[in-house]
Amino acid sequence: MSTKTASNKKQESNKSLIYWIVGGVVGLGLIVWLAIAIAGEGSVDEAIAYGEVTVEGNSLPFFESGSADPAVGQTAPTVTGEDWNGNQFTIGPSDSAKIVVMLAHWCPHCQRELPLIQDWVDSGGLPEGVELYGTTVLTNRVRDGDTWPPQDWLVENGWTSPTIMDDQAGSIVEAYGMTGTPTYVVLGPDNENLGRLSGEIGLEGLNALAGIAAGSLGS
Amino acid sequence: MSSDAIFLYSTLVALLSLVALLAAVGLLTYRIIKGPEAGTLLGNKAIWLAWLVAFVCMVGSLIYSEVIHFEPCRLCWFQRIAMYPMAVILLVGAIRREFQVKYYALPLALIGLGISIYHYMIQRIPNLESGACDPDNPCSAIYVDIFGFISIPFMAGMGFIVIAVLLGFYVNKNSIEQKARVE
Repeated sequence: MSTKTASNKKQESNKSLIYWIVGGVVGLGLIVWLAIAIAGEGSVDEAIAYGEVTVEGNSLPFFESGSADPAVGQTAPTVTGEDWNGNQFTIGPSDSAKIVVMLAHWCPHCQRELPLIQDWVDSGGLPEGVELYGTTVLTNRVRDGDTWPPQDWLVENGWTSPTIMDDQAGSIVEAYGMTGTPTYVVLGPDNENLGRLSGEIGLEGLNALAGIAAGSLGS
Repeated sequence: MSSDAIFLYSTLVALLSLVALLAAVGLLTYRIIKGPEAGTLLGNKAIWLAWLVAFVCMVGSLIYSEVIHFEPCRLCWFQRIAMYPMAVILLVGAIRREFQVKYYALPLALIGLGISIYHYMIQRIPNLESGACDPDNPCSAIYVDIFGFISIPFMAGMGFIVIAVLLGFYVNKNSIEQKARVE
């Protein structure tokens, strides 16, 4: 009798083990199938998220966030590029002072800062004679497909400032010596670097940068 | 590779992580109600289930990095360091029916859980890490955001939690009975 019970128990245990193995194999098979399906799908046109950029002049040296900008007073290179509609813009010597903001669509700091910048612009925060330029940098669809391509992300947030899309080589990143996003570069009318800041700066920071930019107009 | 396929895969693993969370909560509730006796509920299945969770987490993360090509960040690697060995340790422990294995795996699960919580917080409050995004591979970037709150460290955290709970249910039935007899 006890032998029979032991044998039944063993049979049940074997049966249970088989269920586990079958379940595991089916589950794993599903995951692998899905992975193969993902890998086998057609590629997306990545080019729509990048622009063509030309840089004339020497790049600003890379600077670390939180430290003083070693390139204050140095002339920034002239950057020419276009937005997603093919409109061409040049950030170089002109009658205006400029604030250039470099934004990465996948960066949570940029995602928080973007609507704030736009609200600031909408409320007239930008002084007369100072222009704000946006640049989309470090574009990477894999890092955040929801905000890709970056132009959609900008448009969804009501972005109105002229914007240059960086190329795949990161020419704008190199031209302005960017090491983190968002990065702000303040340029005088002669394209002199008046200071760079990296990270979220909020309204107070935006007003301060605008003040520096506006101050360069009188000189 | 389409965003839809990645979303589908992420939704699947996100649902799995929610199931894991529910299972962990259910088991903990059962443990509270039943007391130490509850430890015998799953028997040997507890260690096999814990291994299965670790294995699925490992395969899932490898699919993210090797198939979908999400580049693991620094904190992702720390979580992998905690999770991957468990897929081996727990398997060996399960085959050998070695009850002591939980004392090796549990610290890994708890360390991994701590890192997952920190990583998740950095994603939700990026200023905790720094004020700017590192262009190379920031830990604050949210590669996956399902249902508005499930990201990769969230899923990893659920994996660590359920493994830790399952290890708590992997007890030697004989020792419980012996203890009961003594009492």
